[in-house]
Amino acid sequence: MEMFFYGFMQRAFQASFLISLIAPILGLFLILRRQSLMADTLSHISLAGVALGLLIGVNPTWTNLLVVIVIATLLEYLRQIYRTYSEISIAILMSAGMALALVLMGINDGGVTLSMTQFLFGSIVTINEQQIWLLLVLTAIVGLLYLIFRKPMYVLTFDEETAFTVGLPIKTMSILFNVLTGVTIAVIMPIVGALLVSAIIILPAAISLRLSKSFNGVILIGIVIALVGMLSGLAVSYEIGTPPGATITLILMIIFAVITLLKYSLRHIQLERLYKKTDMS
Amino acid sequence: MVHYIEVEKLAFHYQDEPVLENISFEVDPEDFVMLTGENGAAKTTLLRNILGLLKPSRGSVRLSPVNCSGEKLVVGYVSQQIASFNTGFPSTVLELVQSGRYQRGKWFKRLDKDDKEHVRRSLESVGMWEMRNRKIGELSGGQKQRIAIARVFAADPDLFILDEPTTGMDVQAREEFYNLLRHNCMEHGKGILMVTHDHEEIRHYASKHIELVRKEDSPWRCFSMDSCKELSKPHS
Repeated sequence: MEMFFYGFMQRAFQASFLISLIAPILGLFLILRRQSLMADTLSHISLAGVALGLLIGVNPTWTNLLVVIVIATLLEYLRQIYRTYSEISIAILMSAGMALALVLMGINDGGVTLSMTQFLFGSIVTINEQQIWLLLVLTAIVGLLYLIFRKPMYVLTFDEETAFTVGLPIKTMSILFNVLTGVTIAVIMPIVGALLVSAIIILPAAISLRLSKSFNGVILIGIVIALVGMLSGLAVSYEIGTPPGATITLILMIIFAVITLLKYSLRHIQLERLYKKTDMS
Repeated sequence: MVHYIEVEKLAFHYQDEPVLENISFEVDPEDFVMLTGENGAAKTTLLRNILGLLKPSRGSVRLSPVNCSGEKLVVGYVSQQIASFNTGFPSTVLELVQSGRYQRGKWFKRLDKDDKEHVRRSLESVGMWEMRNRKIGELSGGQKQRIAIARVFAADPDLFILDEPTTGMDVQAREEFYNLLRHNCMEHGKGILMVTHDHEEIRHYASKHIELVRKEDSPWRCFSMDSCKELSKPHS
């Protein structure tokens, strides 16, 4: 219990709680739009944004946000160009982001390594008050937008052509969704790290997809799973001294494995019972 | 008189290859138009031009912005591939069919009693009410086709644009569906444009027949309209 007395741990738990509320919402839409890797791409792009900020001596958070917004918009245009193979846009920009980040770091030789390491691996225990407030505002925006645009997004995600024929502005909606995802990643990245941000966004939704039949059910269960994974991961990392982002990801992976195994066993038992019944009759 | 669809001298090319030439017709309220043609006759391409998913290379397509009562025209579209939708999509049958009501001004409002009644009737009309709580990924191809149709009926559109909607349905289900369409057309003044291969079956229900035929003098596989034939008045 001593961990709750430390200010840095209180802030870490607050951040984890807020991230748990928004990650499954964005994660579900990303999965259903076949853009699971977009979170990874944007986190790589984020690194370039951070490197640019460090190079020109501007607060990396702002350059990061700017770069991510531009690229999130570009992603939608590339997705339209490669409509049949939409993952191409993700592959192109992921490589471009990483390359740009490395080149910018190379130009700004020395003095940035420590900051870049922090952005690569994240540091949930060094979160400051300002980051918590930023995350709180972001959570409120994502939550509000979800409540308002849940129905148009459901139709858009189900089938873009249907969405177009009922008069939804599909291009604008897609761009805004990408931008919102980009901004979220830019805000979360310094906390959980560029390498694991995508896992934390995608895994809770991927797990809950196996547990609920309904759209809202997936979001709600996803939030519960994210809360369990994030908060327990943080506690475990404090107790055994492991990196928080990696510990959270591993705990989410364990939940995923256990649920998959349980579902498989349950289905097996159900089928066995059914066969027995058929044999008896 | 409002024309729900007005196509005038439409031509469409895929890159340099012309696939549709000189297509002109109208679909009015109370019209049940069947669109036929051999495989590859660009029937779906024509529908996609009408819906705005593709842009005509020449000529024009106009969808009326309003219905007979002067309200915004509501279009219900069932695409050819709708039954092959993502099986992992997390939605119950009821949720999906309810989404048809959203375009009735319910994007940002709760569905009321009347909306729910519409949804129930739509699901009952395709025999899927009992399966309303099933996940859509668990359904067979024919059942998916039925809920795609139920979704369009739930929207209560003024104009139905249907691309081979009866794929995977048995004879009885098809007959019930055509009867339902005819009822909507004759009793409620809806306009219907339907691509089909079952023209012998549908000619008893439809009021007009457009056939896309290959142009004799064309070096490409380019199709044009034979004519827009008025069919004998469907029996009520």
